Amino acid sequence: MLKNYLLTAWRNIIKNGMFSAINILGLALGLMSCILITLFVREETGYDKWLPDSERVVRMHSAYINPGSQPFLTVRSAGNMMEAVRDYATNEVEQGVRLIQFGASVIQKQDVTAERITFVDPAFFNVFDLPFVYGSKETSFKKPLDLVITEEMAIKYFGKTDVVGQTLTVCCAGPEPSELTVTGVIKDLPKATHLNLDLVIFVLPSIIENNPGLSSWTSVNVYTYFKMREGVSIDEFQQRLTYWVDNESPLSEGLEPGRKVSHNMKHKLMPLEDLHLHAKKDAGNLGDLSPLGDASMINAFSVIAGLILLIACINFMNLATARASQRAREVAMRKVLGASRQQVTIQFLGEAIALVFISLLVALVLVELVLPIYNQALDSELELALFSDPTLLIAIIVIGLVVGLGAGIYPAVYLSRFLPGHILKSNKSTESGRTSGFRTFLVVFQFTASISLVICTVVIYAQTHFAQFVDVGYNSDNKMVLAINRARDKRESLRQELLNLPEIKSVVFSSEAPTQDNENNSFFTLLGSSQSDDASTNQMSNQGQLLNLHNMDYGFFEAYDVAPIAGRLFDQKFGSDEVTSVETGQHAGAASAVLNQSALAKLGFNSAQEAIGRTVAANIRGQQHFKIVGVIPDIYFRSIKFGVRPTIYMLNPQRLNVASISFNTNNPAQLRTQIEQVWKKHVPMQPINLQFLDSMMAAQYNDERIQTRLFSAFSILAILIACLGLYGLAAFTTERRTKEIGIRKVMGARVRDIVGLLIWQFSKPVLIANLVAWPIASFAMIGWLENFSYRINPLWLIPICLAVGTLLLLIAWATVGTNAASVARANPINALRQD
Amino acid sequence: MLQLKNLSRIYQSNEVETVALDQVNIDIEKGEFVAIMGPSGCGKSTLLSIIGMLDKASDGQYIFDDEDVSGYSEAQLSQIRKHHIGFIFQSFNLIDELTVEENIELALLYHNIPADERKQKVAKVMDKVGIAHRAQHMPSQLSGGQQQRVAVARAVVGNQSMILADEPTGNLDSAHGQEVMEMLQALNEEGTTIVMVTHSPSHADYAHRTINLFDGHVVTQSIRQAS
Repeated sequence: MLKNYLLTAWRNIIKNGMFSAINILGLALGLMSCILITLFVREETGYDKWLPDSERVVRMHSAYINPGSQPFLTVRSAGNMMEAVRDYATNEVEQGVRLIQFGASVIQKQDVTAERITFVDPAFFNVFDLPFVYGSKETSFKKPLDLVITEEMAIKYFGKTDVVGQTLTVCCAGPEPSELTVTGVIKDLPKATHLNLDLVIFVLPSIIENNPGLSSWTSVNVYTYFKMREGVSIDEFQQRLTYWVDNESPLSEGLEPGRKVSHNMKHKLMPLEDLHLHAKKDAGNLGDLSPLGDASMINAFSVIAGLILLIACINFMNLATARASQRAREVAMRKVLGASRQQVTIQFLGEAIALVFISLLVALVLVELVLPIYNQALDSELELALFSDPTLLIAIIVIGLVVGLGAGIYPAVYLSRFLPGHILKSNKSTESGRTSGFRTFLVVFQFTASISLVICTVVIYAQTHFAQFVDVGYNSDNKMVLAINRARDKRESLRQELLNLPEIKSVVFSSEAPTQDNENNSFFTLLGSSQSDDASTNQMSNQGQLLNLHNMDYGFFEAYDVAPIAGRLFDQKFGSDEVTSVETGQHAGAASAVLNQSALAKLGFNSAQEAIGRTVAANIRGQQHFKIVGVIPDIYFRSIKFGVRPTIYMLNPQRLNVASISFNTNNPAQLRTQIEQVWKKHVPMQPINLQFLDSMMAAQYNDERIQTRLFSAFSILAILIACLGLYGLAAFTTERRTKEIGIRKVMGARVRDIVGLLIWQFSKPVLIANLVAWPIASFAMIGWLENFSYRINPLWLIPICLAVGTLLLLIAWATVGTNAASVARANPINALRQD
Repeated sequence: MLQLKNLSRIYQSNEVETVALDQVNIDIEKGEFVAIMGPSGCGKSTLLSIIGMLDKASDGQYIFDDEDVSGYSEAQLSQIRKHHIGFIFQSFNLIDELTVEENIELALLYHNIPADERKQKVAKVMDKVGIAHRAQHMPSQLSGGQQQRVAVARAVVGNQSMILADEPTGNLDSAHGQEVMEMLQALNEEGTTIVMVTHSPSHADYAHRTINLFDGHVVTQSIRQAS
């Protein structure tokens, strides 16, 4: 029986070469998309789940809520929190651990290599039970400065992995290098973890004790993890944590009655397994240990995978039912010979599944071919490890079965319904108006999905393009950014020597370069005005306003071509601009400040001019009075996704971390090498960190760029598959209408009329699909655009929708037209003689 | 073998009622060879479809092997059909994608017969209708007469006790037509009941009895005189 089914199925596939090819190709492309997206989604959703006891580990995130400002969000927490919470919530917490990362340099003879070093509490490997190659979690962290490294690091610095007991010279934090003894070697971490470890060192308690920024209840600099006891839910722990923060923690001491810590400061626990995809909403702009995923992107691509598969399934359904009359006689005969309806259904379902599995094989080959490009686009290392990864194999087989059943069930039920009596008596058409109506409905669905996808793609592309090329308010051309935070004392000598290079026009220092965000916020109080001193400004002034704070050296704004809209920029010749430290009890210091436009409103000024000459007070290196000397336009220091904050700029030489180097050369690579040589001469113990500003700015939009690429690729695939189906359906319909076409031609119709007739038949569903897709896609995209403070005008959707609709209609015409033209040109007599 | 009592079949479409069969009463004995004749549209094919259980009567009784099958479900009818009734059509109705051998075997596939036994039965029946040398050919490679022989072989391979033939010679030239008629006669002599719709009076002469239909009524029944 099975053999008979297979034979019939196989010979049908061969006999109807074109339809089989359309079906197999369409399904294969659909399955390929689905497998590619599955690989991506599986990796993104599998982060950290492989860690032992991962379901019991949580991380504490912090949020500061400042009424009237954007909240300050971070996935880090204050250094003092971990031990206090661990010792308080003993019923909930089994173990706690903190982690903090620094840049470090490893020194070997003359070579200095930049590395990342992670300082942790000794219990680190009790929370993260990572597999050891040499050493063990019991023996590795016996004393401070014990060093655990990954296999990759061991090979890099020692050429082998059995290196327990060897020493590595590492320079971090201080200027003096330390000899660290390797006490353990762990396996390299897979990509699917948010942890990003190379060198792990146990020193944290001592570091925290000696560093006021770390031993704090409010300054958030460390990553804090807790391993909960078995059976404890995260909600229970969260409740207990919030209770402690509000009622028993040092944070709650001295608060006015009725006020709670949690009104202004949130401590939120997030499960380890959720971090990769969901930490973004808690991470603010400072990021995490490793690049974060995006749950909404995962959802979007899962939907796309489903849509593309559905489009391919619809091809199969439409072609199968359209061609049903060809197989009607076989069905009837089988029934006459005693086959039950169920048996016929199973036969056709089996055929569908067989065809899907042929397509699946083609799809797997395609996936292997496309995977390198796909990985490049996604910046990932996905692989199709079918045989070493049984769950993947099962998942793919399940996809095949589901698609086979999904695509096959309707044609199978439809075909098995035929009554043999009618069919065998005459060669009557089995087609009812209802079926062809249903087919049209399915075509409308396919094109609705394709058109929506294309509209979304165009909007995403337009927004990304817009974001990248929007006027950020400063000149970012021909600049490099050099980190100097670990060579602050050498910065003047560096500057002098760099300026000796003829290609370098200027070297200016600042706390951050464009694209580098900070969350350096302080309260500023506007002091009484000399002219108008009405009550309302006074009241507001007394409260103090939270402003974002950037520090710079003379010449920064000039180097970036930022001109003041009122007042002046910082200038050395006034001699009064710079911030100097003030001891407590002394008179307030005097310095100058520049505001951006957004800060004007925040401080209650009606115009830029009004602000000039006024004074704001703040506690920065002691009590200070800042005279506002200038106002600049709002400039986008960070991605325009985040908008502009009210910002104050000041000259505080203690806070300069980067140098912006403006250059003018045709050979940037050579200039780079020259700068590296200068650096090596002045700062031999530290590796250089030098980047081109334009690549830093482009990197801000990496996520969007990847999204755009993927959307484009998959929407092109969706159109391709839908058009394949349309072509098949059109070819078949035309074949069935040859007689009608013959008669029309005999009656005097021209080729043009015939082609028009056939094209119109297939234009209707595409036109209807446009009307359905436009509102759906527009609604979705208006929602998406709301994520951006600076976005393209939603009215752009109108031309985009019209253009996409026209394009798709043209594609459909081309698809249908080629076939129609050849049929229309044929001699009508041939068509009329055949019967 | 079978009895039709006051059997009617009315087709309804778009408010137009067509009475294909009107109060028909027919008895057919086991081992009989019956021809059904009449002009186009008189209800011959409808009658044959109902006897073959491919269609259901609108009214009246159908008793097959002493069982009233009028109220039987599609599945029950399918069971009787597959065990007792073989069909031969004017247009052969072979499946284009299957070889001669596979087409004949198809009739046994739904019978739960082991593969080797099927092969034997098919080989035997192919010998009987003289088509064994064409076993691996596709229907499109055969002449009309050969195709109809395959169809006959398919109709009898399951040892069906009754064969329903709908103008079996309609698409054949006279020589091939006669060949098929002789084959049916031989089957009848072995005990198979045969009911045949035909337009050809000479082919009707092979039958023991001829039923003439006109506008859905049985007009005359003539019994062939033993020659």
